[in-house]
Amino acid sequence: MTASPERGKRTLVTGVIGSDTHIVGNRILSMALEDAGYHVVTLGALTPAEDFIKAAIETAADGIMVSSLYGQGELDCRGFRDLCVEAGLQNILLYVGGNLVVGKQNWDGVEQRFLEMGFDRAFPPGTRTDAVIQLLNEDFAKREADVGAEAR
Amino acid sequence: MSYASPLDRKLRPFSARQISQDLFEKLREENLARWPTGAEVDLEEAADYHRSLPDHKRLPWVLRQAEAEGRCLTQPRGGFGTLELQIELMQALDKEGLADVVPTTTDSYTRNERWEQAAMGITESEKEGRSMLNGFPMVNYGPRRTRRLIEAIDKPGIVLSGTSMPRLTGEVGYAAGFTGYLGSGLAYVTSYTKEMTIEDGIRNYQYLDRLVALYDEKGVELHRRQPGFLTGTNIPPAIAIITCVIDALLAAAQGVKSYGLEMGQTLHLIQDAAAIRACKDLAQEYLKRAGFDDVSTPIISLHWMGAWPQDEAQCAALVSYGGTLAAIGGAVSVTTKSTHEAFGIPTPQANAESLRTTRMAVYLARQIRMDVHPEFLTEVDLIKREVRPILDATLEIGEGDIAVGTVRACEAGIVDIPWSPNRHVKSTVMPARDADGYLRILDPGDMPFDKDVLEIHAEHLRARAERDGVPFGRELAVSSVYEISEPLSRLVAGHSADEKQPAITA
Repeated sequence: MTASPERGKRTLVTGVIGSDTHIVGNRILSMALEDAGYHVVTLGALTPAEDFIKAAIETAADGIMVSSLYGQGELDCRGFRDLCVEAGLQNILLYVGGNLVVGKQNWDGVEQRFLEMGFDRAFPPGTRTDAVIQLLNEDFAKREADVGAEAR
Repeated sequence: MSYASPLDRKLRPFSARQISQDLFEKLREENLARWPTGAEVDLEEAADYHRSLPDHKRLPWVLRQAEAEGRCLTQPRGGFGTLELQIELMQALDKEGLADVVPTTTDSYTRNERWEQAAMGITESEKEGRSMLNGFPMVNYGPRRTRRLIEAIDKPGIVLSGTSMPRLTGEVGYAAGFTGYLGSGLAYVTSYTKEMTIEDGIRNYQYLDRLVALYDEKGVELHRRQPGFLTGTNIPPAIAIITCVIDALLAAAQGVKSYGLEMGQTLHLIQDAAAIRACKDLAQEYLKRAGFDDVSTPIISLHWMGAWPQDEAQCAALVSYGGTLAAIGGAVSVTTKSTHEAFGIPTPQANAESLRTTRMAVYLARQIRMDVHPEFLTEVDLIKREVRPILDATLEIGEGDIAVGTVRACEAGIVDIPWSPNRHVKSTVMPARDADGYLRILDPGDMPFDKDVLEIHAEHLRARAERDGVPFGRELAVSSVYEISEPLSRLVAGHSADEKQPAITA
């Protein structure tokens, strides 16, 4: 795995948004994130957007990983970044992945829509856990470097 | 949010005992008042209608005939958002698909008792000229109009409503003339809900089972059915059977006489046949032990319930093989999926075609049985050794009351469901596929399986870990989740570790 043990444990909130019960992929991702050295707060299936944010505040999380499999993710994720900003989580890392829209649609368009919604990254069906963890590690490393540069 | 009847909770201490006639009258009155079409339910009129149906449109009779003749029936799933579309669909499944049992799947709003939203869905569907709902909003149409579905077909109808809240849909469905209803307390609450308690799930289905007993008192035999496929994700037969027997005992206590038990296919020829045999034997064993010797429990085999491949050719293999598995296993009926499974709801034509594919596969396997195959007999014996300690512990912890025992057993992890979204089960039990293709228990969680039984499972799983060069651990469970739905190129062509790493979306 791609864990970096020297780093202090970062906290991630995971869950399946909206009225969606498809828990399997999200649970597998959560297990892989733990194996990769993250502290994972698992909210499970059927989680309202507000609950992600509440949990992120309570646990001082560094990132939120939103799953959606049932096609209605586009509706459920609207305004998610705004809710974070309102709650004082301006800079929290936001990832989303799964079958995010109804029916078969071009992925580039789907990704663009979710990035415009304020997600830092969006992942299509079939994504490997290792690919997510690698990008996560990179994104956090980049943030640390940015903070370091500002401090200098 | 209320998940069960407040009146039921107030007036009835939780137990497996049959709901009294007086209380049930009150509960029905409360239930039927929840939506205007509830007032259309007239039990006497509905019972007259049922008695007027020919035998071949009554599911308990049709199942009994099939069992006596050693046939395996075919039944699809299917539901659209308007009466007109649903009539067309059911006629296509009946005539083009040659379905032996014709379904009506309800939409998600109906399953969650959001009838206002379902009403909007009907309006939108009518406006668009296509179904905007993922099933038929039976409660909104009410029993009188829904009966047109039964009149449009020449087979028995069954309601498929994946819900833990079946009370009003059940009243409407049976009053409309459907003779079967799929769903149960333990199975659906642990598979489809997060916050709902096991007790509330059981209470809701006790209502439905009691309703069936009420029809029975009026000379109308109706079928109930348990969805043993659970979360549909690599459920080992023992765990499915544990829930089948528990829900069957609960139903029998309310007075149900025809109770089907569904087993999701593991896709292993011998294990599936063994599962069907073990389920049949164990259900009858525990029913008789509880004093119920007149409950029929036909076993229904279900096409693969995990994630399906996108490629229709790959799906066609699963559809056809699923017919083979059901027939060789001696199932009384097989519930089909279609080559469109990965994309959601199939067209009536794709649905009908997969029915015929399955029917042909059943026909081809008509004379083949496993009965004396040594590996089959070993597996039947193993499954029984897995199931008994769990059921016995559940009965014991409930001090003889299976309803109370089930709630306590779930709390204690004695009964556990893999990959469950529900908070009231531990979901620490973890299945995986072994080196020979059998589904085994990788981690029992707190389920009190016998040590020697667990050692057999571990031994077979270690063999897979060795063969695949992966550690003996949950990676085995994870890769087992995706090994059916991936593209062929990844399933069989490639041999590098990279290509075999599983995806995270199921």
